[in-house]
Amino acid sequence: MKKLIVSFCFLIAANNIMVAQTLVPPIDKSPMDMSTYPNGYGMLAVQGKASEPLVARVLYSRPLKNNRVIFGELVEYNKVWRFGANENTEIEFFKDVTINKTKIKKGKYSVFAIPTEDSWTIILNKDLNTWGSFTYDAAKDVVRVKTPIQKTTEQAEAFYIYFDKSTSGFTLNAGWDNAKVSLPIAM
Amino acid sequence: MITVRIFICCFCLNTLFACKNENEKKVNTINVSDTLPNKNPYVNIDQSPLDMSWYPTNYPIEKMKGNTSLKLIARLLYSRPHKKGRKIFGDDSTALCMYGKPWRLGANEASEIDFFENVIIAGKNINKGTYTIYCIPHDDRWTIVLNNDLYTWGLNIDEDKDLFRADLPTMPQLPIVEDFTMFFNDMQTGCTLTMAWDNVKVELPIVFAR
Repeated sequence: MKKLIVSFCFLIAANNIMVAQTLVPPIDKSPMDMSTYPNGYGMLAVQGKASEPLVARVLYSRPLKNNRVIFGELVEYNKVWRFGANENTEIEFFKDVTINKTKIKKGKYSVFAIPTEDSWTIILNKDLNTWGSFTYDAAKDVVRVKTPIQKTTEQAEAFYIYFDKSTSGFTLNAGWDNAKVSLPIAM
Repeated sequence: MITVRIFICCFCLNTLFACKNENEKKVNTINVSDTLPNKNPYVNIDQSPLDMSWYPTNYPIEKMKGNTSLKLIARLLYSRPHKKGRKIFGDDSTALCMYGKPWRLGANEASEIDFFENVIIAGKNINKGTYTIYCIPHDDRWTIVLNNDLYTWGLNIDEDKDLFRADLPTMPQLPIVEDFTMFFNDMQTGCTLTMAWDNVKVELPIVFAR
């Protein structure tokens, strides 16, 4: 009996400890992630295997589908969408690039998108260190590119962004649920 | 009879705390390994997810709320490994972070700190810009290092690019922290960067150069 009482008291103490632990910043529900071009640059560089210098890095948070209808409901059509979660998605170019015939100077840009049923208009904007698209200002746009949606057979639970090589440079691929787009970037 | 009453009393109390704890958990903590989908057709979610800390705290949210008088000072980018029952700090190879060996202060990519204003750390002027931040843990102190080698994975340190090193005393962290955490706090002359994992905590004072 005494052992039981002691163990229950211990449980109470353990519970209190867990409650107190929540004071430190918790892990985000939509965790942040990083993609680079060349793909996996940091890892390659430390192994001396990077074939090209670092050209682009994107920082974005990854919302989850969680059984929700994403496009047309959670992400409304024809409205500016944050292209991620939490802080604005940010792309950094380490050299000048060209997107849709527009020259993009090296530096950091925020990324947004306007989804419709069959395309996403991807936007690069100069406003940095903001939250979501709540303070989005079209006057600070650098480029807008309409990219067609490719329907994917496999459903992505988490929003994703990755780069791959192309003949003229590289491609930014982004998708969620069954929708995917590709943005060509020329060097 | 008395023991039975104590038993029931303990049980009720425990249930009460358990409920409170359950609510807190829903709001605040997520066990990443349990909730994150491990398979994505393109890019898997990291087991040690990336996170961002700001000074002023939650700067982008404050800006969104219309608090435009705040001046952005610092942004920290780091990945958050979990304790998962492991021994984190120690002086032998059973510890994940061995005393005397450089540790990336995170996971995956090197942790990165951006200063948007000039600051003073450990008496040294630090120009605004981007730096890698890492640490050499010891039993009684952590040596915190800022380095100019950027965009690397883990630690492949070029010590020639070290900008400065500062020894900071370790403090006990109770209750223990499951997910490695770095965040900024206000300080009279600037801010502190608190780094906490397992049962250890260190605070780096950052003075604003005005």
